[in-house]
Amino acid sequence: MKMEEMSLSGLDNSKLEAIAQEIYADLVEDSCLGFCFEVHRAVKCGYFFLDDTDPDSMKDFEIVDQPGLDIFGQVFNQWKSKECVCPNCSRSIAASRFAPHLEKCLGMGRNSSRIANRRIANSNNMNKSESDQEDNDDINDNDWSYGSEKKAKKRKSDKLWYLPFQNPNSPRRSKSLKHKNGELSNSDPFKYSNSTGISYETLGPEELRSLLTTQCGVISEHTKKMCTRSLRCPQHTDEQRRTVRIYFLGSSAVLPEVESSLDNDSFDMTDSQALISRLQWDGSSDLSPSDSGSSKTSENQGWGLGTNNSESRKTKKKKSHLSLVGTASGLGSNKKKKPKPPAPPTPSIYDDIN
Amino acid sequence: MNKDAQMRAAINQKLIETGKRECFKELLRPKLTECVWKDQLKVHCKEVIKEKGLEHITVDDLVAEITPKGRALVPDSVKKELLQRIRTFLTRARWLSL
Repeated sequence: MKMEEMSLSGLDNSKLEAIAQEIYADLVEDSCLGFCFEVHRAVKCGYFFLDDTDPDSMKDFEIVDQPGLDIFGQVFNQWKSKECVCPNCSRSIAASRFAPHLEKCLGMGRNSSRIANRRIANSNNMNKSESDQEDNDDINDNDWSYGSEKKAKKRKSDKLWYLPFQNPNSPRRSKSLKHKNGELSNSDPFKYSNSTGISYETLGPEELRSLLTTQCGVISEHTKKMCTRSLRCPQHTDEQRRTVRIYFLGSSAVLPEVESSLDNDSFDMTDSQALISRLQWDGSSDLSPSDSGSSKTSENQGWGLGTNNSESRKTKKKKSHLSLVGTASGLGSNKKKKPKPPAPPTPSIYDDIN
Repeated sequence: MNKDAQMRAAINQKLIETGKRECFKELLRPKLTECVWKDQLKVHCKEVIKEKGLEHITVDDLVAEITPKGRALVPDSVKKELLQRIRTFLTRARWLSL
């Protein structure tokens, strides 16, 4: 190698040039050879002459450059004024309106099915005035959005109720059970009718009564149905609930909350003492057994439910768990309104325990 | 002469080893395409093929016909540029080998 390298350095320019030329010639020959191979392959595979066109077909596709025409020689507004004959109804329709017409004519496509459904639902409504079936569209829409929302709200309100009264014993469980049962028994027959309320026309008196003890029951003006939310549903007032119950069950009807105080009588204790004992059992810390506390609780109770006490003594209906929660909830709500009084008794409870 | 031949062989080897040969080739190819050298040669090819007949054409025939034409058709600009690069390479090689 060294000898060759040294000889390289001894080269003069002409020789260098000659070598350069040679190298160049080699490169060009390589390119030519490569090209020949390509051509030969194209010939043998048969695609060599593919890009050739005869002059006749060249003329057919010549670019058009006249005013009013596109490069293919077509007129711009040609299809607007044309009329097509519909294969279904054999009418002649304008070309631009043809596609939507076909959609409706053949009954395919999104809009036509929607319109058909609505028509069916409307005709159903007209035919069966007493049926529970409402407009399918509305039902479906309500089911999905309003129903789930309602459910979520309901659960939340339930949670708020139970929080201050955490007790593994019956009141909560039975209330929830009862609620479940209530829901199951009441809502099952009406499950398919609607999700937002119950139509009172088809309910029997017993069912009505049980319904009214567990649910709000206020009749909505829009849908003429009873509200299925809880007894403390924020959408309706107690007045409304009382009105509904009176309307259905007669003048002796009372709100279920009121009936809670019944159990005080059934246990043969005074109202306040029963409440206190029950509350202690429930584990409420805000109400003390002491006189001050009891007087306040009785005050609270009186304030909320006092007017109904006399009525409740006359009618004996309800079950303990419901009443308990009713009481608790009543007190809970009262507590919200009067935050101050319950506060001072708190330390005294702990004193008693200790 | 032997020395020359040896020298040329050595240079060629260097060219290949450094990858410069491929480099030059890749440089030449697009240049030839864009200066329509290929299209001209293609036209010539078609004539040759029509002359000889599509079925019986062979690579040797093509090569024999095409190569001289191809060499002649290379435009001067391309030729000059390529030669320049080769010279540069050789000079560099000569200096480096020292």
